[in-house]
Amino acid sequence: MTSTATPAWLLDSEVGLCPCGCIGTRKKANLVDKTIAGSASLLRRAMFADDTSAQPGLLQRVDPRIKVLSLVGLLVVTSLVHHIPVLLAMYLATLPLAVASRLSLRFFVKRVWLFIPIFTGVIVLPAMFSFITHGHIVVPLGHWFGHRVGLTSQGLRSAGLIVIRVATSISLVVLLTLTTPWVELLAALRALRVPRMFVLVTGMAYRYLFHLLDSVTDMYTARKSRMVGRETDVVAGRAFVGASAGAMFGKAHALSEEVYSAMIARGYNGNARTMNRFRLGVQDLVWVTACLAAAVVVLGWDHAIGR
Amino acid sequence: MHIPDGYLSPATCATFYGASVPVWLTAGRRVKKVVRNRYVPLVAIGAAYSFLVMMFNVPIPDGTTAHAVGGVLIAVLLGPWAAVIAVSIALLIQALFFGDGGVLAYGANCFNMAIVMPVVGYAVYRAVSRHVSLTSTRRAVAAGLGGYIGLNIAALCAAVEFGLQPTLFKAADGTPLYAPFHLSQTIPTMALAHLTVAGGVEFVLTAGVIAYLQRANLPIMRINHGSVAETDAELELTRKPGWRWAVVGLGTMIVLTPLGLIAPGGAFGEAAPADLNLHKYGLSAVPSGLRHYAGFWHNAFFSGYDFSNDKHPVVGYLLSAGVGILTIGVAILAIFAAVRVLRSRGPRRPDLVEVRS
Repeated sequence: MTSTATPAWLLDSEVGLCPCGCIGTRKKANLVDKTIAGSASLLRRAMFADDTSAQPGLLQRVDPRIKVLSLVGLLVVTSLVHHIPVLLAMYLATLPLAVASRLSLRFFVKRVWLFIPIFTGVIVLPAMFSFITHGHIVVPLGHWFGHRVGLTSQGLRSAGLIVIRVATSISLVVLLTLTTPWVELLAALRALRVPRMFVLVTGMAYRYLFHLLDSVTDMYTARKSRMVGRETDVVAGRAFVGASAGAMFGKAHALSEEVYSAMIARGYNGNARTMNRFRLGVQDLVWVTACLAAAVVVLGWDHAIGR
Repeated sequence: MHIPDGYLSPATCATFYGASVPVWLTAGRRVKKVVRNRYVPLVAIGAAYSFLVMMFNVPIPDGTTAHAVGGVLIAVLLGPWAAVIAVSIALLIQALFFGDGGVLAYGANCFNMAIVMPVVGYAVYRAVSRHVSLTSTRRAVAAGLGGYIGLNIAALCAAVEFGLQPTLFKAADGTPLYAPFHLSQTIPTMALAHLTVAGGVEFVLTAGVIAYLQRANLPIMRINHGSVAETDAELELTRKPGWRWAVVGLGTMIVLTPLGLIAPGGAFGEAAPADLNLHKYGLSAVPSGLRHYAGFWHNAFFSGYDFSNDKHPVVGYLLSAGVGILTIGVAILAIFAAVRVLRSRGPRRPDLVEVRS
């Protein structure tokens, strides 16, 4: 993967499939290691998105307002489609878009399909069986208390629908987030009439998120540097987590006071102002037309196959 | 509990956006009124904090770790309205900037984790920590309990949202179009996971942070607990006398006064000497001391709860009751006034320091 600014070692991913660490390997990792790894991975993802959104790709050139509107529209279309072949076609169509936007195809596919089997697969697997989704048994698996048990056609179709729909939806959102710098994303939200205060607060939260993340990493690194061997005391571990989260709140509050003073010093009087410099170009018109055409084709096809 | 896109039908997503928007607007107005201009940095950094709280790994008994949501913790620290906005923004950043949790499902995710969870959890916290000082252990436990119950109610909401999908949205041949499990399957599954592990983790984190702030950074608790007494001793000083219960008890007795009019017989030990059943007690005459002192006081206003020789027994009874209550009330107020005067001359209690940030 070509990267503009982020050092390669930061992009080396550890085996952890969910950023929050709630799913993935059940490795009995130390809570300190896990939190440090978690914050590093968050930073890595943010920096990665910064890098990719700065590439000269197809979607990077589209006006952010148009991009947000069109991708949300496509998400709605995805959720309205009721047939697997149609959804599959939609998913496949996201792949050339990713390539045209200078995203690595391997990364783009991996990002979606690493998440699916763990989260969606486990949830959807039981739904294929006749005791969850009743219907015509296509793969009989014998009898259980006198009832025929097996995979039903309805269950298989339902599972397929969920998996491919989740894959398409995630791909669309990833396309949006990796091709739009966060500042532009916020400005697009403002242009789409999201209340100004809400946008201001979100932008500030995103900016200070990384500042506070630094404090978390410092705190846990300091703890790690004082540890010998493995920490096994669960009670002490919990006390440490409570104390560090409490100390974080103290720091966060002090920070908010400082930010407020700084805002006042720069003339903040309760009104937020945003710059609005977006201008629609030819590529935006082309993109909107393409999205509308895609939506019409997809919904028409889905309707033609029948309910 | 972050629902990705694809599990909920577009109609469900639209419904939850519709349900969340008025709550966001109300929350925005309420927070702005309380902290004015300051609310922008406070809520922004509250949102960043809420995002980070979801990254803190809490050890669980099997040796691995799990993370909490922290919605109730933010509600206890900043108030429920600020928590609604802070957690919503944390979820927005997750959905939009990091791709965790759906964009269409954002309304439903906010409803569960940013609205139901802090509001329910905060209500539990308030109910359990009533009349408790700021440093009391019970306050930390109340916060933990709020976290536990808030998380479980939020999980129940998510389970209902999932469980309604196969009933409401299916193809002609019965194929579920969105999440495939019924209510009878989603509710027990979510309840099992959240009543045990996830709820416990939420309890540990919420109670742990409050307990830490109680001993290490008490002024910060004042953001949302402006005038709560700091210690149990101060709480005793500021506690208002239990007027309400006394008033309710006395009022009930006053309302029941007419019962005396319909009660048959006489009260034990209150009969006049002439009405005594001497035979029952093995006596031959009224004892001389009793006869002597029975007529000792002749100047009662309402002798025998009456004033006109029993011409109007009911009016007389009620009038005596009214005058009696009035007399006792005046006496009590006089005693209170006397106590207050005496106290104000004595040493003053230390004034409560009010810290507001």
